[in-house]
Amino acid sequence: MKKLLLALMMTMGAAHAADTLHVYNWNNYIAPETVKRFEADCKCKVVQDYYGSMEEMLAKLSAGAKGYDVVVPTGFAIPPLVKQNLVQPLDKAKLPNAKNVNPAFLNSQFDKGNQYSLPYSFTTTLLGYNETELKKLGIDPTSWAVIFDPKVLAKIKGKVTVLDDSRELFAAALMYNGFSANSVNPDEWKKAAETIKAAKPFWAAFNTQSYIKELTVGNIWVAHGYSNDMFQAQQDAKAAKRAFALNYSLQKEGNTLSVDNMMVLKNAPRPDLALKFVNFMLDGKNSADLTNMIGSGNPNSAAAAFVKPEIKAIAAVFPNAEAQKKLQQLNALEGKQLRELNKLWTQVKTAR
Amino acid sequence: MSKPVYGLGGRYAKWLISAPPLLYLLLFFAIPALIMVFAAFRFPGDYGGLVPLVDVNPDTGARELLLTAENWRDFLTFENFGRFFEDSIYLELFLKSFWYAGLTTLICLVLAYPLSWLIARSGKKTRDLLVLLVILPFWSNFLIRVYAWMIILGPQSYFSRVLNGFLGIFGIEPVSLLFSQFAVIIGLVYVHLPFMVLPLYANLEKHDMSLLDAAQDLGANAWQRFWKVTWPLSLPGVWAGVALVFIPALGMFAIPDLLGGTNSMMIGNLIKQQFLDSRDWPFGSVLSIMLTLSVLLLAAVAAWAGSRHKKKD
Repeated sequence: MKKLLLALMMTMGAAHAADTLHVYNWNNYIAPETVKRFEADCKCKVVQDYYGSMEEMLAKLSAGAKGYDVVVPTGFAIPPLVKQNLVQPLDKAKLPNAKNVNPAFLNSQFDKGNQYSLPYSFTTTLLGYNETELKKLGIDPTSWAVIFDPKVLAKIKGKVTVLDDSRELFAAALMYNGFSANSVNPDEWKKAAETIKAAKPFWAAFNTQSYIKELTVGNIWVAHGYSNDMFQAQQDAKAAKRAFALNYSLQKEGNTLSVDNMMVLKNAPRPDLALKFVNFMLDGKNSADLTNMIGSGNPNSAAAAFVKPEIKAIAAVFPNAEAQKKLQQLNALEGKQLRELNKLWTQVKTAR
Repeated sequence: MSKPVYGLGGRYAKWLISAPPLLYLLLFFAIPALIMVFAAFRFPGDYGGLVPLVDVNPDTGARELLLTAENWRDFLTFENFGRFFEDSIYLELFLKSFWYAGLTTLICLVLAYPLSWLIARSGKKTRDLLVLLVILPFWSNFLIRVYAWMIILGPQSYFSRVLNGFLGIFGIEPVSLLFSQFAVIIGLVYVHLPFMVLPLYANLEKHDMSLLDAAQDLGANAWQRFWKVTWPLSLPGVWAGVALVFIPALGMFAIPDLLGGTNSMMIGNLIKQQFLDSRDWPFGSVLSIMLTLSVLLLAAVAAWAGSRHKKKD
């Protein structure tokens, strides 16, 4: 009898764990409908947990967080995960849909040969803006000058937010000064810090959490942020029938490109379901859903046929060949460089 | 009269009952605090964490301590403390945080005192209702309440529009409330006010009203009755409230993050930045230690001033 009970308990426990996939992803980065379809497809339950920045995700996983199966890091966060031995190689035999990935997004510097990662989707970091108000003031949003040139900023003082993210803001300031977004030259960093300090008094806040809402209700006219968030803000403003229109565009000095990738964690409780999920998301139609619903860029060749034409026409989501040349992925910073940036960032943030 | 007799069980029972909380504090406060102190003297790992002291020997597969008497300089350092003092920005940020927390505490005290007095002097039913109302905000999540302030202070809100309309009558430029130091102080006061009200109320409720009657009979006016009788008697409640408000307010990072503008960073934000953005645990530990030390120093100064004050009396 005891044995029977024990066996019963074990199978119950197993059945419970058997059907759950834990995904650790960016917030606002998968359509609920896609999740539902995957749940129906694998006959399992998907439990999602979210992060708002790469630092948050890395800090949590480096500290030994357990229980996640799939994680979706941006390129520069791949090497830290691999070098810390937190992820496992992908079994390509179980990923027939891997052939759908656009080769331009494969074999990146972060994971040569895609041993550990496959692209999920991408975003650009750019400016979202209140088109109606900027037109009234005659401000051209296609240059970083909108958030860095005090002469332009004087007209929109207190109506600008920038990302509370040292890498992204420094990248924008570096590109505005004509340097590479990945520069580690101390003089160029200093110049970028000066640019940020001069512009800071005109900004309302460093904001990573609520700029979608602030743009949508009209509190803020220019926000530095991610393309899929701007897509969301534009949709929300339309749905709320605002008296103004929101839009977003790439900057002529260049933008950063964030390719987000699916990886399976080394201590994943269910690597089999994880691979199923990765393969599912690489399917053309499912990948296109992501773009259609949240406005993220698409690295999947098989998805093109399913993407809505009006989204294909948005340059910030589907950059053309010329725009693509000006997009840069951020490198991983290590040790001393990270400390140096941290010091500059503290100076910039506490400067009066 | 003989001394009360405690059985052997009684003496052990005292320890037995307090063992779980003692153990809890030891495990989750004292040991982590010591780890933090140790971390402050080590080097940061490339991807967060610390440079390891123990590593697996590839030949033998055994775990080995890398630290020896000769090479300790590769693993232990004072550099992290040096960094704190080499640039004045860290000290300035400390001063600013102390100023924010101090102002918050003062505003809370001024607001909470009359309210606590009112509650303490109300009839039983009203008193219970008022105490319930003070506790009520705790029933909803802290972040949701702060987000509500973002809406209230936003330029599109009725509050902002009415205020700016009013200022406009006097020809004053419209002010922006959200994303400012003002918004941070409002948020800090709002969140911490109950922590000042409750200890003050607990103290004021116990006051013997006949003392005030006696003072009045002896010719003390309202102000003298407050300043000579109520205020000195309420000091334990005031100190408890000040400690409960000042210390959490000093380390707050969520409110400056959400309500603050480009110039509202506090020490808590800087510590969070070290552990998350920069993955620099040692420097984050240094900042935390400095924060703890400065609070202890302040408490020591207050205690010293208090004891001098008593001697004078």
